[in-house]
Amino acid sequence: MATDLPSLMQNVVAPLVKIVLLIGGLMTAAAYFVLLERWMAAWVQDRRGPNRVGIPLTRIKLLGLGQPLADGIKFITKEEYTPAHVDKPIYILAPIVILAAALAIFAVIPFGSVLPPIPGIPGLDKEPIPLLVAPGLDPSLVFVFALSSIAVFPVILGGWASNNKYSFLGGLRSSAQLIAYEIPLGLGILGVALVSGSIRLDKVIVDQAASGVWNAFLQPLGLLVFVVAAFAEAARLPFDLPEAEQELIGGYHTEYAGLKLLLFLVAEFLHMITAAFLIVILFFGGWHLWGLTGFSEESISWAQALLRIAVLSAKVFLVILFFMMVRWSWPRFRFDQLMALAWKVLLPLGLVNLVVVAVMVEYGGTLKSQFGGGVYWIFAISGWLALIAAWVVAALVSPSHDDNTPRRAAQKFDTEAEFYRTF
Amino acid sequence: MPTVLVDGQEIELAAGEKLNGIQVAARAGVEIPHYCWHPGLTVVASCRMCLVETGTRNAETGAITMLPKLSPACQTPATNNSVFVTGSAKVIQARAMVEEDLLIDHPIDCPICDKAGECLLQDYHFQHGQAERRADLRPFTRRRREMGDTVTLFVDRCVMCTRCVRFTREISGASELMVINRGSHEEIDVFPGYPLANKLSGNVVDLCPVGALGDKDFLYQQRVWFMKKHPGICTGCSTGCSITVEENQDHVYRLKPRTNMHVNEWWMCDEGRYGYHHVHHENRLTEPWVKSARGPAPSAESRDKKVPDTFSKVEWSALLDAMDSRLRKTQRLAAILSPHLTVEEAYLLAKYCRSIDGNAWIAMGHVPMFGEDQVFAKGFTVRAEKCPNRRGVEEVVAHFMGRVPKWEDALAAIESGEVQAAWFSGGYKKSDWNDENVAARCQGLATLIVQDMFRSPLYDQADYQLPGAAFAEREGSYVNCKDRLHSVVWAVRPPVGVRTEASLYWQLLGMPGMYRSRRVLDEIAGEILYFNAAGGPIPPTGVDLKVNLLAGASA
Amino acid sequence: MQPNDPQVKWIEEPKLGLAGKMYLPLFVQGLAVTTRHLFSPKVTVSFPEQRPQIGNPLIYRGVHRLNKDEQGRVKCVACFLCATACPAHCIDIIGVESPWPDREKYPQSFSIDELRCIFCGMCEEACPVDAIELTSLFDLTGRSREEMIFDKEKLLSVYDQTKDAEPMKSTACGGTVT
Repeated sequence: MATDLPSLMQNVVAPLVKIVLLIGGLMTAAAYFVLLERWMAAWVQDRRGPNRVGIPLTRIKLLGLGQPLADGIKFITKEEYTPAHVDKPIYILAPIVILAAALAIFAVIPFGSVLPPIPGIPGLDKEPIPLLVAPGLDPSLVFVFALSSIAVFPVILGGWASNNKYSFLGGLRSSAQLIAYEIPLGLGILGVALVSGSIRLDKVIVDQAASGVWNAFLQPLGLLVFVVAAFAEAARLPFDLPEAEQELIGGYHTEYAGLKLLLFLVAEFLHMITAAFLIVILFFGGWHLWGLTGFSEESISWAQALLRIAVLSAKVFLVILFFMMVRWSWPRFRFDQLMALAWKVLLPLGLVNLVVVAVMVEYGGTLKSQFGGGVYWIFAISGWLALIAAWVVAALVSPSHDDNTPRRAAQKFDTEAEFYRTF
Repeated sequence: MPTVLVDGQEIELAAGEKLNGIQVAARAGVEIPHYCWHPGLTVVASCRMCLVETGTRNAETGAITMLPKLSPACQTPATNNSVFVTGSAKVIQARAMVEEDLLIDHPIDCPICDKAGECLLQDYHFQHGQAERRADLRPFTRRRREMGDTVTLFVDRCVMCTRCVRFTREISGASELMVINRGSHEEIDVFPGYPLANKLSGNVVDLCPVGALGDKDFLYQQRVWFMKKHPGICTGCSTGCSITVEENQDHVYRLKPRTNMHVNEWWMCDEGRYGYHHVHHENRLTEPWVKSARGPAPSAESRDKKVPDTFSKVEWSALLDAMDSRLRKTQRLAAILSPHLTVEEAYLLAKYCRSIDGNAWIAMGHVPMFGEDQVFAKGFTVRAEKCPNRRGVEEVVAHFMGRVPKWEDALAAIESGEVQAAWFSGGYKKSDWNDENVAARCQGLATLIVQDMFRSPLYDQADYQLPGAAFAEREGSYVNCKDRLHSVVWAVRPPVGVRTEASLYWQLLGMPGMYRSRRVLDEIAGEILYFNAAGGPIPPTGVDLKVNLLAGASA
Repeated sequence: MQPNDPQVKWIEEPKLGLAGKMYLPLFVQGLAVTTRHLFSPKVTVSFPEQRPQIGNPLIYRGVHRLNKDEQGRVKCVACFLCATACPAHCIDIIGVESPWPDREKYPQSFSIDELRCIFCGMCEEACPVDAIELTSLFDLTGRSREEMIFDKEKLLSVYDQTKDAEPMKSTACGGTVT
């Protein structure tokens, strides 16, 4: 490792600053997304939501913006209760792992484009500074995948270590769910990777920005598969089977309280934020907005750099709003439906998408020489046709729609005694 | 064999059996409502509630001839070919009319009547009365008349069944109660200057089918439906009446006789009935204390303080091991088994002491005797021996010692220095079973353990002062003076800090789990011939152990 | 009940059409409903600043009170029927002989554990003399559990506090029990 000042600045200080900014921002965002979630929940139910907590010791309420702080203090000052019957090391390890994994994903997720070089600071005064903690990591998509798979373990471990049948059921369910939905998630990403020819997230954005055509327009089927899978991976409604308050009284974190529960809850929100970032970056052009942000990362003004951050944040925010609206709009899937949806619907749909994209990429060059810019219209139309066709076929075959009326064929009994004899 | 027809059912009577219509209908599973009739009293047939259709069946032809009028079932003997019809429209209407008549001048003050919930008038009105009262309510006057120290009369509630009057004439024999005036002005009263004051007076309250006679001890204490009933045995005297302990939230509110034709029939005496107040007495001991240094017997002055300074309060958990190891260091041991202990408890304590010292003295505790046996008109007896289990404990003692050392023998042995440690079990309702004299005679003991409910001279002097259980908290068996064994379960939990003798002995013996009287009784039945009959199931009315005595004599 | 009992009605699940199978109507309807409610007027009453309107005090079930008769005595006759009816076992009464000639029993002590109470109103239903009633006081607070066990004096004072605003229900409803 180089020990001269410029490379120290470039390789140690700058990433550390970025990490601090990112974690601080994420934690604050997670806290305020909790508030937003509660507001949304309240508004959808014709209530007002938290609007009391403002500045402590005053009567200033600030629309309840002090609520996250109050919640945080409450969580931290709560009794750090550990039930006697738990497997203690694993019980403590699980929330730590889940939060660590959720945070580590952000090492490769760009939270903006680049900053212009800052004159006067050695090491940062020549090249643009990428807004990415680990800009050099080439297979960043693989990294995202690896870490989101790790998120399965703490859920299972937490459920197991809690030594509670509901927690255990929640853990089992979520392990099945998370593993099942990794596959459609990967298929959704693969389509994007094929188009941009790279598995670096920042390159995926630049690619979309350069062409001005977001992947969402070209492969809506891939978007659908990815979004549904992302909901399931983040365990958001309508796929929140791991928790399932009604049946599992909280699922894998039933036995958790205080700070450890907080870690689980924050990690859950981070998963949602991650999913939102990925959706925006992979399918909605990241920081790109037509006519506003430009598309080059080579020379960039401060205004443009900040605008790109704003655009990316706004897109992520909108996606998160969508996440929250969905929560109150649609009922939860039953577990067998959930599994059927992953294996019998999303997996084939993802494969169809992959084939369509592969064909497009294969013949893209030829077509481009023939039609020029109009090629994107051909791609888009074929993508949308693929979506409609695949969805209709899936609906007609309806592998996830079971007939739930077996009682009709129930055995007939002449006498009551006969009926009771069957028990 | 005589055959009676009740609502079409043929009921066969044993030869020579004398039953009336109500009893024979009960045998057929039909309840005929009645107020004035009681199996223990003579028949007056005055309430008219048990009116049924009666008739005869011709033995040869089988033709049935019914009487034109309804007749009271209580007064109609069931003879061969008697016919009773209890559910006809005529009978149902007659009952509704009787109910209406009784309710014309009955104040419907059920909400404040202590009988509500176990009142025959209430029950029968719901079952047999009509939904509507055609007569207007008379304004309710709350005329109340004292019958004696124990019983009060709510005059307006009376339905004039005269059960109480007949009881005082026939069972208690003192005839204090009477009917005054005539017709609709009839009332129950006592002769001026001769209040209801006999030892069975409380029974008239049980007999009263409505809320007219109230028990002053129980008056306004609880609504009857709040109380849970537990079958028990009265520990007031060695008659050992079958009773029901009625409690709510671990507080005993009243004792009631339980029908047991072998022992007390339907009755119990006032001494037993009101003899439960010590269970919740404020002076009950609830903490175990240990004498930390052996000093002189506490003076009267220091006894006024709750416990002398040389004593320290201990936890049961710490106490048992210390006591056990101290007893094991002692040369000669004595266990004084109180006749208030159950058979199981006596056996466990004796077994425990014998497990430490193979020659341990096992002796009878003090058997309290007061006055003479009191026998009432129909044979109900209140014994002078005021303890429930002398016979049972005696047999346990005899099993271990081969003879029965009495209280005096035990004290003599202690005084002579023959034993160094003694365990006195108490359970007496009062603390008068020992005095300074007894305490002085026990001065020489190296270790003195007393478990009792109340403080007494001996208790104050003990090295281990253990709080004991009352009868309602015990589980086990008692043997009455006529060698009848009854098993009871606990009705209330002991006060916080108190452990029943049985659970204590059970733990000292290192037996697994919670104390189970049945397990101990099985062991006793196997070990001791006298208790052999208790090896089988114990019916609520008890088991006669004399059968074994005869078997043992012939063997 | 057997499956083939004539009283059992068998119904068929509605068959889904193509749109239904594609989940499209469900998605659109769900989102439409939530979006509509997102902007609809809110029903929450911001309590301390804004007092809620009690619709009908006669049927509102708030804090209990013990009514007094014309002579200012407690109307309760200690019959325990409220305690019997109470599903939460929150009423505790000690009944003794009354000092008045026209009454046999009265409550020496009468306490309601307001924390245990579920405000079902069964006590009011059960009371034969209309002595216990539920008022429309709802903002019940206390700083300790002991404070929330209302004794006879407290329950009678609730009556004094509310009798003008809410007359005894029996008379308010045209009843005759006074």
